[in-house]
Amino acid sequence: MSRTVYHLALALACASVAAGEPVVIGHQRFHAGEAGVAGGRLLYNELGCANCHGGDTGLPARRGPDLTTVTTRQKADWLRAFIASPDQHRSGTSMPGLFAGRDAADAGAVVHYLGTLAPKSTGRARLIRHMNSESGKLLFHTIGCVACHAPRDDYVPAGGRPPAAGLASGTVVFPSLEEKYVLSSLGDFIRDPLKTRPDGRMPRIEMEEQDAIDIASYLLGLPGSDGEQAPKLDPFVPNREKAARGRDVVGALWCAGCHDLPAAERVQVTPIRDPAGGCLAEVPAAGVPNYVFNVSQRRALQSFLARRDETLPAEHRVALTMQALNCTACHERDGNGGPDAAHRDYISGDPNLGDTGRYLPPLTGVGRKLQPKWLEQAVKGAVRVRPYLNTRMPVYGGAVAELPALLARVDAGPEWPMPAGDVEAGRKLLGTHGGVSCITCHRWADRASLGIQGMDISNLAQRLQPRWLRDYLVNPAAYRPGTLMPSFWPDGKAANREVLGGDTDRQIASIVAFAREGRGVPEGFPSMTTREFELVPTERPIVLRTFLQDVGTHAILVGFPAGVHLAYDASEARPALVWKGRFFDAYGTWFSRFAPFEKPLGDALKWPAPAAPPGLRSFSGYRLDATGVPIFLFTVNGVPVEERFEPVPGGLRRSVRWNVERLRSIAVAHPEGVGAKEEEGSEGGKLSFVYTWQ
Amino acid sequence: MKRIYLLLGSLTLLTATGAAATATEAYEIQTILAASSPTSSRSANWKPGDGIVLEVGGMDFTADGKLAVAIRKGEVWLIDGLQRGATSPPTYKLFASGLHEPLGVMRDGDGLLVAQRTEITRLRDTNGDGVADEYLTACRGWNVSGAYHGYTYGPKRDGAGNLWVALNLDLGERSDNDAPWRGWAGIIGADAAFKPMAAGMRSPCGLGANATGDMFCVDQQGTWIPATPIYHLRRGAFYLNPEGLGPQRRPDSPVKLSAPVPNKVPYPDAVRAVPEMAPPAVWLPYNKMGRSGTDIAVCDQAGKFGPFDGQLFVGEFTDAKVSRVFLEQVDGQYQGAAFPFLSGFASGVVRVLFGDDGSLFVGMTSRGWSSLGLHSYGLQRVRWTGLTPFALREMRALPGGFELVFTSPVDAESAGRTESYSIKSYTFLYSSAYGSPEIDVRPLAITSATVSSDGLHVRLQVEGLRELYVHELRADGVRSASGAPLAHPDAYYTLNRIPRQP
Repeated sequence: MSRTVYHLALALACASVAAGEPVVIGHQRFHAGEAGVAGGRLLYNELGCANCHGGDTGLPARRGPDLTTVTTRQKADWLRAFIASPDQHRSGTSMPGLFAGRDAADAGAVVHYLGTLAPKSTGRARLIRHMNSESGKLLFHTIGCVACHAPRDDYVPAGGRPPAAGLASGTVVFPSLEEKYVLSSLGDFIRDPLKTRPDGRMPRIEMEEQDAIDIASYLLGLPGSDGEQAPKLDPFVPNREKAARGRDVVGALWCAGCHDLPAAERVQVTPIRDPAGGCLAEVPAAGVPNYVFNVSQRRALQSFLARRDETLPAEHRVALTMQALNCTACHERDGNGGPDAAHRDYISGDPNLGDTGRYLPPLTGVGRKLQPKWLEQAVKGAVRVRPYLNTRMPVYGGAVAELPALLARVDAGPEWPMPAGDVEAGRKLLGTHGGVSCITCHRWADRASLGIQGMDISNLAQRLQPRWLRDYLVNPAAYRPGTLMPSFWPDGKAANREVLGGDTDRQIASIVAFAREGRGVPEGFPSMTTREFELVPTERPIVLRTFLQDVGTHAILVGFPAGVHLAYDASEARPALVWKGRFFDAYGTWFSRFAPFEKPLGDALKWPAPAAPPGLRSFSGYRLDATGVPIFLFTVNGVPVEERFEPVPGGLRRSVRWNVERLRSIAVAHPEGVGAKEEEGSEGGKLSFVYTWQ
Repeated sequence: MKRIYLLLGSLTLLTATGAAATATEAYEIQTILAASSPTSSRSANWKPGDGIVLEVGGMDFTADGKLAVAIRKGEVWLIDGLQRGATSPPTYKLFASGLHEPLGVMRDGDGLLVAQRTEITRLRDTNGDGVADEYLTACRGWNVSGAYHGYTYGPKRDGAGNLWVALNLDLGERSDNDAPWRGWAGIIGADAAFKPMAAGMRSPCGLGANATGDMFCVDQQGTWIPATPIYHLRRGAFYLNPEGLGPQRRPDSPVKLSAPVPNKVPYPDAVRAVPEMAPPAVWLPYNKMGRSGTDIAVCDQAGKFGPFDGQLFVGEFTDAKVSRVFLEQVDGQYQGAAFPFLSGFASGVVRVLFGDDGSLFVGMTSRGWSSLGLHSYGLQRVRWTGLTPFALREMRALPGGFELVFTSPVDAESAGRTESYSIKSYTFLYSSAYGSPEIDVRPLAITSATVSSDGLHVRLQVEGLRELYVHELRADGVRSASGAPLAHPDAYYTLNRIPRQP
């Protein structure tokens, strides 16, 4: 692929008038300039030839978009123009020209017919308050869109803009989007392309609705932040007479070959008899679909047609499927594919993890790497194990239905007679106390690792096949070039000679056994400080306010290093809950916009209100003493009272002080389910109780 | 000590991310601290990165010149090294923690008053170790239902010494706007009691006194509020949003509406229908002047911030910008004009505050809402470079038009042509719906444009002025004496009253 073509592709991203052969990225990248059978098969499949001419290519079916709602999503003027001359309005389109020699009004009539298929409008446009094209620009260039679409000039990746010459193929060029879409319909399409294009060639990248709107606003070049200012789609009202004409045209042109249309429009599959005629003629006759093939595309198709009855070996089927779906844009397999030089700098992630923190994993041998069930979920895009990657694995829908089983078959390797593992040895090996310290770099379930935040490995038994894991651990770099992962079993010899006598196979089997059992965590995580927002009192008490279940909106939590904690209700100036063990996770309080009502991390005991009515009890704040212990302040009938709690061995001491000359007594209550003992010397003006857990 | 060092290591000291970033501009934006990652803080899964999560909710300077910054997770930090003449990089010290989403902080005596959801709290360091050890209730008395939007703003001191506090309407789950005093502003009364003063607000996020000590408040567009309004706060006033009016039945309510609030009427009709309804001193039309006003700072810098002394600078969240407001009094009532000022801040602007060196400190957070500022949070400062911007400094109402005051002399030829200007007036639909389009839009004829001999003033004779309407001016054709166009040719005058002939 030349520099010129790359610039052309970039230019076309903004231009509405362009022409050229259909772009099948996988074909351009791996088969361009050849007239080979494999490339021909890929083209035959990806241009939907089989839809009219039949034949099983062994590859996921290529279909056209759903047209029954198209007039509610796209502008009628654009549809009319595109249908009349597709390649003039979208460079590289795989939609053939069908209207040569036809009355120009026929394309318009088709749009009217399609309008009759659309559901009745509810008349209510969706409210889009916010849009943010800057956010959309960032998402477009980081989550994976530019694997297939050209990056734009207004975004420069962190490493600078790569040389255009590194582009290994053309890209999927946008038509003039503002002529085709409005903000809401482009946003809906980006959010879930499979809804209208179920064949998965534009896969779905999981994202929030707002993110899709932001990307749409960026691609449409909309200024400002108010989505309501964006142009809206004019309702399309089909004309009955034109629609009737359109229906005839749709039937005559076999539109239903590629597009799902009402049953009456079905086409008769017709095998190709003359591989140099019909669509493949150098200048197709009027009335014959015109794909604007280039010479090598035409030759490749002819090569394939000559040998179309040959069986397709399974490993070729995998490779061609990955080319058809452009998996190879991101993933390498068997030395082919992976991001080209022009794309590498657009792929980002956690820089602390090196290249493996941003590049997608190679798929060489993935069928013997992943457990079958996991493989199926991974191919579906249903599991995400590398949260540090900015690129998101898309969802291809039915197009990948057969791929997991195919990969498992093609990649199958010899079984490994894994010896019996020792669960405790596995735990030790994973940990930092006499093990090989996997958790220094790897997360374990919800526990952050001690250093860089590498992939969670608590699921390794469900995820990985033992044989592959063993081979990988012996030489990680052979499987993941550039990985930061060292080998603790170089050349198959265990570096740790203490555990299980340094038996490599038994050590690895033990790691698998511990992970499979799924109980406990490896040794070496600092106790109770592993959740990022869990508050752990260490030297001084922690005091904070939050909304708390069973207390209300005025809760003040006090966590003591001794492991006993309480919640004070400032609205009634009294203790309300007490608990032991872990204190509190502050994430919701600190970082949720919606200010949730939280719960303590331990099982809390209720501390009832005193029997006497609160009367004129009024909270007035707290002071922290020299050790950081809060002294709660309130007044009863205007008389100041101080109340202090502090841990004692096995429990909690409470002392209440006030001027007994001004106030004879005050009501107190004790927590439920603990022993309450009034201490010696406790009397009016200086009450003192010790609560102990039974 | 190690902690402080690490925090400093994560600071990004960048210059200039703003629209006015080059040395040829009159104002430049400098970053003091910004979230290192621009990842979406509105995501439910967003987690803050390392360092101080400087999601600014409140700012004020302490007596010894440190910037006290209240952050949303409940801490107050003291930042040293931002005052005039400071040369070393700023240092950060944690002063208080465990507060409930504080959205305001103000120096008072030897302590700080900080607005928590449930109360105003007085923080003091009584033992001199630089960390607060007293958290005393300084004001309370409003309901806290647990609805997430039940925020508390303030306090701010007016010229008479009153400390003003504003309370957001409840929005979302658990809302209870019939309980006192949601959507009200009041002052801190005796015995730390909240004393309600004025009603009818929705999201009164920012308070600030002008140069003469009158208190103003910026609210946000939403239900019943068609655009960002700036209210002059005073006892007994009702502004726009009636959803929190339930407590007017209480004996301690200073607001008693004598007529029901109409729905779906042009705004001037609503003002005529409800005698207690106090028109905003200034409207900031939606989109044109931002979308969510957040804070007010009066420029009291004696020229150190350029030619805008006495004007209000208004923070804005969604578009991450700062606008400028000129106020004048007609028949004793405030009204005036809003002008664009500066955009391109790192995150949603929530707090603005002038420092002693003439720079405007801008505190930001975007968590929870969308903002054109993509960083999750940050602190920036705006400095005047010494160049005088060619700008509309003031727009004053006259009996039959407006007087424009420029920051530097105009080219008399272009400024003397009526075609160099256009004016239209419009109002809004007052309704329970969210926001409003501009309605009853009317272009107005400009019959003369008279330039003063010093070239700083232009008098426009305008036909068909309408009271209570926004009068939007564009001065696209005006050039400075050196031939430059206005960087911001638009201005928005809220003409509550047309001055009478003298």
